[in-house]
Amino acid sequence: METRTEVLPANAAPETPMRSLVIAIAGSGGDGVALIGDLLLKMAAHQGLYGMLVQSYGPQIRGGESAVVLRIGDREICYEGDDTDVLVCFKVSDLKRFRGSVHLHDDSLLVLEEKDEGVLPDWLGATKRPVFRHPFATFDGGVEVAGEPKNMMALALVCRALGWPESLAQQALAERFSHKPALVERNMPTFRKAFNLENVPAITKLIGHGVPLVVETGNEAVARGAMAAGLRFFAGYPITPSSEVMETLIDELPAVGGRIVQAEDEISALGMVVGASFGGVPSMTATSGPGLSLMTEMMGLSSMAEIPTVIVDCQRAGPATGMPSRTEQSDLYHAIYGGHGDFPRAVLGVFDVVHARDVMFRAFELAENYQLPVLVLSDAYVAQRRQIRDGVTDRRDKPRRWRWTPEDGPARFQLSGDHPVNAFRVPGTPGGTYMAAGIEHTEDGNPTADAGMHQKMSEKRFAKLEGIADDTRTWARTLGKADATRGIVAWGSSYGMLREWVAGNPEYRVFLPEILHPFPLEAFEEWRKGLAETTTVELSFQGQFHRYLCSLTDMTAVRSIARSGGLPMSMRELGSLLAAPAAKKEKA
Amino acid sequence: MKAKDLRTELQPVWCTGCGDFGVLKGLTQALADLEVAPEKLAVISGIGCSSRLPGYVKAYSFNTIHGRALPIATGLKTARPELTTVVVGGDGDGFSIGLGHLPHAIRRDVNLTYVVMDNGIYGLTKGQASPTTELESKRSRGLGGSDEQPLNPVLLVLSSGCGFVARTHAGNMPHMREMFRQAIEYPGFSFVHVLAGCVTYQPRGYSDQLLQRSYELPQEYDTTDAGAAINAVRDGRFALGVIYRRPLGAAAVAAGATEDEDWTPPDAVLKQDLPTE
Ligand SMILES: Cc1ncc(C[n+]2csc(CCOP(=O)(O)OP(=O)(O)O)c2C)c(N)n1
Ligand code: SF4
Ligand SMILES: [Mg+2]
Repeated sequence: METRTEVLPANAAPETPMRSLVIAIAGSGGDGVALIGDLLLKMAAHQGLYGMLVQSYGPQIRGGESAVVLRIGDREICYEGDDTDVLVCFKVSDLKRFRGSVHLHDDSLLVLEEKDEGVLPDWLGATKRPVFRHPFATFDGGVEVAGEPKNMMALALVCRALGWPESLAQQALAERFSHKPALVERNMPTFRKAFNLENVPAITKLIGHGVPLVVETGNEAVARGAMAAGLRFFAGYPITPSSEVMETLIDELPAVGGRIVQAEDEISALGMVVGASFGGVPSMTATSGPGLSLMTEMMGLSSMAEIPTVIVDCQRAGPATGMPSRTEQSDLYHAIYGGHGDFPRAVLGVFDVVHARDVMFRAFELAENYQLPVLVLSDAYVAQRRQIRDGVTDRRDKPRRWRWTPEDGPARFQLSGDHPVNAFRVPGTPGGTYMAAGIEHTEDGNPTADAGMHQKMSEKRFAKLEGIADDTRTWARTLGKADATRGIVAWGSSYGMLREWVAGNPEYRVFLPEILHPFPLEAFEEWRKGLAETTTVELSFQGQFHRYLCSLTDMTAVRSIARSGGLPMSMRELGSLLAAPAAKKEKA
Repeated sequence: MKAKDLRTELQPVWCTGCGDFGVLKGLTQALADLEVAPEKLAVISGIGCSSRLPGYVKAYSFNTIHGRALPIATGLKTARPELTTVVVGGDGDGFSIGLGHLPHAIRRDVNLTYVVMDNGIYGLTKGQASPTTELESKRSRGLGGSDEQPLNPVLLVLSSGCGFVARTHAGNMPHMREMFRQAIEYPGFSFVHVLAGCVTYQPRGYSDQLLQRSYELPQEYDTTDAGAAINAVRDGRFALGVIYRRPLGAAAVAAGATEDEDWTPPDAVLKQDLPTE
């Protein structure tokens, strides 16, 4: 089995640092800020540069202020960066909602509206460079009126500053608006006017490797990874931040012969998935916290009736409705423990867009092999980001469910076998009829209320977890140098930030489980040997991950850095939290 | 093929005299009449006395959780359209906890047959009021919800645009067999309302009372007339027979729209309505 480490030997030479730039653009709804980010990312990908883009909205999902933060560089990027190298802002007053997402340094290039007299907030930091002012808006008697598109001007200025040719922008626009070529032509004069200005300051030029790369969101990667793993039935109910999983599949699943239903609610969505998988078809649903809550009873059915299902939860912040477009890591308890009665399930975590495909393959592998629900925990930070990635060739082998034939014996839920998983009886197979049931059942699937049988069946079902634990003992990723003495344990989308953290702080190394339940405990114990200090880092107010680890192993003297989500944790924040004296020692 | 070819060895746990026995017999008869092989048959249920039925049918059966049989069957039938898929359950399962799924299953017009054994009570949980328990009955027996009007499930199903709606009585074997056969043959979502007795939690003679309040729809009744169908289920009596059968290719109509001759269904409804098989 493949080991998955990025640990460098103790004597390894330091890597050449990545060259990267963070560009932030803040505007109001209707400024077309998202489009600029999109186009810049496309242009970067085209040159063989890597990057990622995160969008930030006001509290409402549509309209209002919006900002994009884009980071591009010459190495794979899965962290948005700490400091903003270029900030374009059409209206200073729009900035207030983006506190924490933008931060200037001494050499940042700040581009503002010529006539905007707004005062820059203190939290933004300051640059020593002169501010570049540009007449983005059109005014009539002091009132802003509709004028030439601001986003075209901003795009042109950023391209110029980056030293990117006009042709690159033209091509990206043509691709994006292939259905409206006239629109591109109409807007190019605005672009050129700004692009050809004399005094646009230059910023660090980034050189890509020249081989065009792919732009994908976390949700697209989840959808495509699932398809590559054999997904042929999907049912879902729209919910931020997971909806694009369904939207991508509506576009792409029918082409491979799969079917999709938009359900009336999440109970129904997972119900349909259970039904389709009962029919022998690899099936999945995707949702966010509120939907996962509704799916809980059905998850138990999937496990009890031994029907494979894959459930993707793109975590958002908070209970009830919470903050739908914001990220958090607080569905961990629900994923691992949620539901009545004792039933086994597996829980995987997603690091970034590149990892998502891999995780989906593993999820289907476990679900189909072990005939139980597998939860995949993504989050808003991964789901909604666009990330530039290398092209992928999907694996050709697909997870295969063990299909019943008459040689496999008469019982669907056999107890005497040496393996807890039995051949799956696919409807349509002559001689294989049986009853699947959520009610406790005998080996034949007939209802029972026998206490002894319930114990035996529980043993059989839970024996699957031992098999899974065995198969997945290496499903963790470690970062940093093997002789580092400070350890960080984290999971999911914290990966991107921590990968850069260890690059800049060689005294640290990191452990990130790819499977959260059953937890790769042996790998963890091995990894933490020789550490002088250890800290868990997560976006959960309760510290769910830390407390979960406390239930598995000795966590005495392990510090917990846990806060509620909303914004992902930056390296700056992590640095100051690690430097601060531990407020209170978490008890194990 | 005989009805008993579709029976498992399992003996039903129902109380002696329970209406569900008749439904099991009528259903297996109809399926045998249609020569449905066990391996091509899926019987899906929720939870309740009536939802025990799949265990007694030789098929790929699934006794799921309370109220969720329709979504599960929808997923199965969508993924495996070649299977004959029958959903069975009780009035609590289908008209209370699972009601939210019913109009949507109807809208999707997935080719399922949904049989509800309506005994006007929660049998399995020992006799609480269900959405179809009569007011007087709740009051006289001190059941919960004594101020709540009962639901008219057949009107609800019709008004949701169901393409095939029938009602039958669990004591009338030939009629049940015929209704089930037609429903299963119908190429779209079909609904059969079965008046079923519960000998344990309904008063003695309940099943006979249901029969007394019932009448068979006359020969000349036009099953393709949605307006007539709605009228037939609006009084306190139980019309038995095929109440509505939408001609293939015709538009699904909502209850309020039937009188309006100028009303044309929107495109979406038309499209959805094209026969799928
Ligand atoms: C989520 C959930 N709530 C409640 C129950 C308990 N329960 C089981 S069956 C049932 C009602 C059964 O009534 P009905 O569907 O009419 O079936 P019948 O027994 O009358 O045939 C209830 C409330 C349950 N199993 N699951
Ligand atoms: S309690 Fe009523 S519904 Fe349940 S088996 Fe007995 S008679 Fe039938
Ligand atoms: Mg009932």
